[in-house]
Amino acid sequence: MSTTDLYIRQRAPFELSEVNLSECTDEQLMEISRESGTGLSLEEMQAIRGHFVERGRHPTDVELQSIGQAWSEHCCYKSSKVFLREYVFGIDNRQVIDRGDAGVMEFDKDHAYALRIESHNHPSAVEPYGGAATGIGGILRDVLCMGARPIALVDPLFFGPLNLSSAKLPEGIKHPKYLLGGVVAGIRDYGNRVGVPTVSGGLWFDESYVGNCLVNVGCVGIADKRNVRRNAVRGPGDVLVLVGGRTGRDGIHGVTFASAVLTEESETESRGAVQLGDPIMKEPVMHAVLEANEKGLVNGMKDLGGGGLSCVVGEIALAGGCGAEVDLTKVPLKEEGLAPWEIWVSESQERMMLSVSRRNVDKVLHIFKLWDVPATPVGGTIKEKRVRLYYEGVKVFDLELDFLTAGPEYCRPCSASRAGRRTKERVPKARARYDRVMLKLLSDHNICNRDWVIRQYDHEVRANTVIKPLQGRVGHWTHGDATVIKPVEESFRGLAIATASNPFAVGIDPYRGGKGCVDEACRNLAAAGARPHSLTDCLNFGNPEKPDRLWQFRETVRGMGEVAGGLDIPIPSGNVSFYNESPKGPVLPTPVVLGCGIVRDIRKCVTSELKGEGNSVFVIGRTCKEMGASSYYRITKSHSPRVPDVDIDALRAGVDIVARGIERGAIVSCHDISDGGLATALSEMCIGGDIGADVDLSGLGRMRGDVKLFSESNSRWVAEVRKGRERQLPKDRRTTAVRIGTVGGDCLRLRSGRTLADVRVSSLAKAFNEPLWRSVG
Amino acid sequence: MKISDARVCVLRIEGTNCEEESFQCFRRLGAKPEKVHLKQLTGTDVTSDEKRSLPDYHILVIPGGFSAGDYVRAGAILAARLKSRLSQDLAEFVREGKPVLGICNGFQVLVETGLLPATSGVMAAVPEAVLGTNDSARFECRPTLLKKVNRGLCVFTSIISDDRISLIPSAHAEGKLMFPLDREKGMLRELDDNDQIVFKYVDPRGRLAGYPWCPNGSTGNIAGLCNRDGNVFGLMPHPERVFFRFTHPDWPRSPDGAGDGRPVFESVLRYISKKL
Repeated sequence: MSTTDLYIRQRAPFELSEVNLSECTDEQLMEISRESGTGLSLEEMQAIRGHFVERGRHPTDVELQSIGQAWSEHCCYKSSKVFLREYVFGIDNRQVIDRGDAGVMEFDKDHAYALRIESHNHPSAVEPYGGAATGIGGILRDVLCMGARPIALVDPLFFGPLNLSSAKLPEGIKHPKYLLGGVVAGIRDYGNRVGVPTVSGGLWFDESYVGNCLVNVGCVGIADKRNVRRNAVRGPGDVLVLVGGRTGRDGIHGVTFASAVLTEESETESRGAVQLGDPIMKEPVMHAVLEANEKGLVNGMKDLGGGGLSCVVGEIALAGGCGAEVDLTKVPLKEEGLAPWEIWVSESQERMMLSVSRRNVDKVLHIFKLWDVPATPVGGTIKEKRVRLYYEGVKVFDLELDFLTAGPEYCRPCSASRAGRRTKERVPKARARYDRVMLKLLSDHNICNRDWVIRQYDHEVRANTVIKPLQGRVGHWTHGDATVIKPVEESFRGLAIATASNPFAVGIDPYRGGKGCVDEACRNLAAAGARPHSLTDCLNFGNPEKPDRLWQFRETVRGMGEVAGGLDIPIPSGNVSFYNESPKGPVLPTPVVLGCGIVRDIRKCVTSELKGEGNSVFVIGRTCKEMGASSYYRITKSHSPRVPDVDIDALRAGVDIVARGIERGAIVSCHDISDGGLATALSEMCIGGDIGADVDLSGLGRMRGDVKLFSESNSRWVAEVRKGRERQLPKDRRTTAVRIGTVGGDCLRLRSGRTLADVRVSSLAKAFNEPLWRSVG
Repeated sequence: MKISDARVCVLRIEGTNCEEESFQCFRRLGAKPEKVHLKQLTGTDVTSDEKRSLPDYHILVIPGGFSAGDYVRAGAILAARLKSRLSQDLAEFVREGKPVLGICNGFQVLVETGLLPATSGVMAAVPEAVLGTNDSARFECRPTLLKKVNRGLCVFTSIISDDRISLIPSAHAEGKLMFPLDREKGMLRELDDNDQIVFKYVDPRGRLAGYPWCPNGSTGNIAGLCNRDGNVFGLMPHPERVFFRFTHPDWPRSPDGAGDGRPVFESVLRYISKKL
């Protein structure tokens, strides 16, 4: 059915059409949605038609595009909001200062920190280098627009197996090795150039990510409390100043692209939706924005991300109880000939909107001029809650904000899928010795040393990184659990940052898996000596219009909310990324948690590697036979539906024992037990310290040897306690702390009655250090 | 002069991003550092309040980062801007014996401007060396061990004892010091004769070693150089990142004492307190 007659070309010296929706058939409505690239559903198109019929006029193309942006899944969370409200929005405490583009939490009496994580999955799947780079750009602006200085970046990444044979690579999909290389290079070249350390993250591999890799990026910032700003104008009469990069045709329909499933044609059709990053525009933008803000010249600000100007103008005005008028002619462009709708929805990078009182405009413009950053007043706020746009003197847009920002909200059907759920247990056969299994686990791509990635990122710029991502004796590096930043010059208070995700567990049991992710974030933070303080999450799931995917989402969020709520840890910001599917199917349901913790005195922090001969080794937390989704079961092709659960009381008690033990100086090294279980945690501690340990696991209870070695039960840590200080380890009835051995020698020896494994530390190190270099070095 | 009167110009443009920590090092030691945009020195787009003059400072610091993005050769763009507008001021600054410190990108800038190694004169007309892409072809952020080999000329290392090994971390993609191949041997000999070599990358036992101890494949394992008078000093590793012990990568193993980078800043302040 043709739609050509429905577009009414307007008499204007530029491209402008009205769209005659009033007489459209349903088919034509959908055709218009498709042609405009907005991806609106039939019901949504009908609602738009209703609105304009009531007002007796046709929408312009600018208006239709704008509604498409504002009502996309990416912008209005239409499928997820109902669950988020039920399970996570409610966790509140007095430490939450704001929930804007980034969450803002209290750091100390005078300072606040901001945190946020989001996804940049689809752009990275199509163009890994640019997609990953602009992901950083976007998250930096989210933190910056709260008035906070970005001080740390976090990059959790998920790819298909690196050794995937080309024959198994689907049409139109890029090889995981290429994607990993491109994404890491993108993060490196952008993150290093803007001078913000990349301090945490993670790397996961699974077949399900072959068609749709996940690239999440988080950022943490710090601010004087008096410099914290809301994403809102102060009132009518504010001047809207657009600062940063110029606007071009890159990144048009990015949000729509993010709100649909990837297809074989994504490469050719959606390449233009990937924006182009410019770190050397962003770096001075940060300087200038912070300088203007610290001088009190900025009333409020907001970043231009998904939806570009079309989202930012309405949202920043409405948040301040106003409307706005904008002259699109004034927007600085990269090239000539953009139609007004393109200017309005372009997602070109490195741009922010500042709301400035009229008397301060010149001072703001001067600051930006010094940094050679374009800054242009493009409009102002008005009393009426509507947005009007002009282009070359012609009014091209006039909408009520209540309508534009009242995106639909759905309570879509969700139910567990019966097919594909394996309930039957398949147990690996018991062995006499587990030396080889241990080495195999250490070399697993999901466990092995990530130094190839980490050392390409500058994790020390700003010189505040106290506890670093790689820890150990010089030349013998192992993984840490959390990174600690000392953000305030005059204070020894620290901010710990940790990343957690376990898509394998969530895939089998989303509720318990979701709980486990929060548990892991908390135990990572505690292991460095911090008290968990806030979380932000990026929830990467499949198509929410499919009931089983939405069920996974709901269950995960329920589990996460339960543990976070139980510990009174707020989640002041977050991001949902749906439609992570390719023709091969959905990705594993992947919630990523970025946790922040407070360290009272950074000089008390500990690292994960073993420190000294003769010290005692403890296991804190109860080990159970919960082998579902464990690395051990995965490498032995076994299965169990029983995924580790979380006992919130035991978690709280464990965090307290570890944090207090570290503050007292009794614990000198600590590592959380996660992928690969106790055996792997101990191995990593030995590798970093270049020293062995003699360990007897009889005290853990009556279980098979392999369960003791490789169970991934939650809320557990290995702690090295200084010789003679064992009694200073705090006690708590709600969890256990068992002494299992002594540090020393050059082998890691594990017994439980009989010897289970006895491996030289140098062999452990070789198994742990080499795999990634062999695959991608 | 008193250290509290020592004015330190920490130069910045878009993409220099280690200025804050460099500034703090001097502030903590009681000097008067200031972050100064290049345009403040050249008088472009600034008010009269914002204008600054290079001769008013006692120390010039070119901090690390990616000045102007470093999309050409690292340091080349900032060096070109400096040379086109401030050549005279710079040469005069150095001639007066005032110290100039270039860290990482700053070192690259000093080599590109011809202020280092400057085996003859103050400022070579064309660069005599280059800091090329690392052998690994990647950005390398890793702890490096530096042995002080300078025999006393360099004013930034005077209080560091001879042969001491300092842990000063590196973070760069272009840090491989290279000379014109036909002149390499001669240049190395000359630099050694002039006592212009300051730091070399070594392993924990103090021996010259390959990757990863030397993160870039630098000629002669050279990590830092000074000019013939010892008052211009450039190095790839970042002493400002280890001013305190608690930013060392392995500090929980030995938490006491100052950071290994601190003596670099103390040395130069001691120098100007005596000489200027």
